[in-house]
Amino acid sequence: MKAHEWMISYTRQSEWIDRRGLFLWLAFYFGGLGGGLYLVSLYFNSLWGMFISWLIILVLKGGSHFLFLGKPLRFWQMVRRPHTSWLARGLLFVLLFTVFAAIQLCFSLWLPGTAGEIVFKVLAGLMAFAVAIYTGFVMNGFKAIPFWNSALLPVLFFLCGVLGGLGLYTIIALGNGQINIAAETASRWLLIINALLIVIYLWRATCRGQTGKQSVVEQIRGQFAPVFWAGVITMGIIIPVVIAFASYFAGEASAVLLVTGVGCEITGGLSLRYCILKAGAYRPLLKLSGI
Amino acid sequence: MEWVTGEGDEAVMSIYPMRCQHCEYPVCVEVCPTGANQQSENGIVWIDQNKCVGCRYCVVSCPYQARTFNTGNKENFPGRGLTGFEKAGKRLYPHQAGTAEKCNFCKERIEAGLARGLKPGTDREATPACVNTCPARVMTFGDLDDPCSKVSELIGEKEGVQLHTEYGTNPSIYYIDSKIGAGYMEILELIGLEEEFGLVYRYSSVPSTNDVGEKTGVTR
Repeated sequence: MKAHEWMISYTRQSEWIDRRGLFLWLAFYFGGLGGGLYLVSLYFNSLWGMFISWLIILVLKGGSHFLFLGKPLRFWQMVRRPHTSWLARGLLFVLLFTVFAAIQLCFSLWLPGTAGEIVFKVLAGLMAFAVAIYTGFVMNGFKAIPFWNSALLPVLFFLCGVLGGLGLYTIIALGNGQINIAAETASRWLLIINALLIVIYLWRATCRGQTGKQSVVEQIRGQFAPVFWAGVITMGIIIPVVIAFASYFAGEASAVLLVTGVGCEITGGLSLRYCILKAGAYRPLLKLSGI
Repeated sequence: MEWVTGEGDEAVMSIYPMRCQHCEYPVCVEVCPTGANQQSENGIVWIDQNKCVGCRYCVVSCPYQARTFNTGNKENFPGRGLTGFEKAGKRLYPHQAGTAEKCNFCKERIEAGLARGLKPGTDREATPACVNTCPARVMTFGDLDDPCSKVSELIGEKEGVQLHTEYGTNPSIYYIDSKIGAGYMEILELIGLEEEFGLVYRYSSVPSTNDVGEKTGVTR
């Protein structure tokens, strides 16, 4: 973009992805991954999975978010005002999740099967769901950025988080010497649904004016194309799908292949969020010249 | 904001001041998670730097991209330090690294002037510094609610244009230039909303004029 075209043509947002904005990208992804892993672990009743998801949300998600903030010590002002925005609500969800999940883990360790454990499993599960999905609501509220202004975004981010969670859970189960067939089957179906959702999301974005279309073009054959094709499509979809179906038809899968597949899924999830954040652009203030 | 139209000898560069639009319904105030973004009774949108947590939600949500994030190492002329004006500005206005920043219409100056019974837009001591110092005198400041104020008259006479009316923010800044009106019309046609914005149709028919100006208002 030439200097004189500033604000007259497609202008990409940069605050939430460039420089320190990279921490927000990580925070958003780890929120989804941690929330997804907790829900999957809750379903399969994996204490290790619950503990690791608690660590992911507390350390990786919370830590990245704090590093992103310009004045992190003022975070409590956000917690006090959940009615204002999804960003404030999200921080509250994270705090509540860490508290509820910590209590639930204590119950599960020392007082298993009690009513307290069930109550805190439900509470922590609800908060994990909220942590996994809220970033989509944070971003789809921007009317000025057509690429993000989609109701599909929360669903896509949530699904991506559950997919990563299923992958991590598979590795945790593998560490305990088990191969969870149910998790693998769910993973296969979710991979296909996720791929379809990405296609629908991009197709719908092209219907949101010239700027939305330009964001999609940037993904497919513009400056973000290498990340999109290598990260989102190849690592995030093709390789995990090939491994999932190879293990289905062969009837078994090697641990190395499973770990590779999960690594690719996580890279794909990170790439997806990166591409979506990076391609978010404003409508021109005056004229759509050169687009 | 700079905009080049035409080519070769006929190329014309138009320059428009682009700052916070002080919307009547500001998105930044709505989304601010700490309440640092506020709107005064007179319509000025401002940031309480002591409350801002530096999440940049307001920076990203502003459809006019009129906000910046103070990273702490702001040097407008890299390697040459601060200019005399910048040093004076730093003494007058306490910038805080790690917070969002934007034009506040010299809020402190206007409020001090109003307290002394002065009239913003008429008395220099109650008028934003940019309006006072603009060498081309392209900016006019005043009360939008007063139909007899200079800004209201200018908007009526020269058909001032607001930017991105489709977001329902109702900006307080009006631009007087048929080029902006025509360009804006193109955007609305492309997104298929022109039927809903009859007002903009009117702007598109304004004859070309060399009179480029900006009108601003604070009181609603």
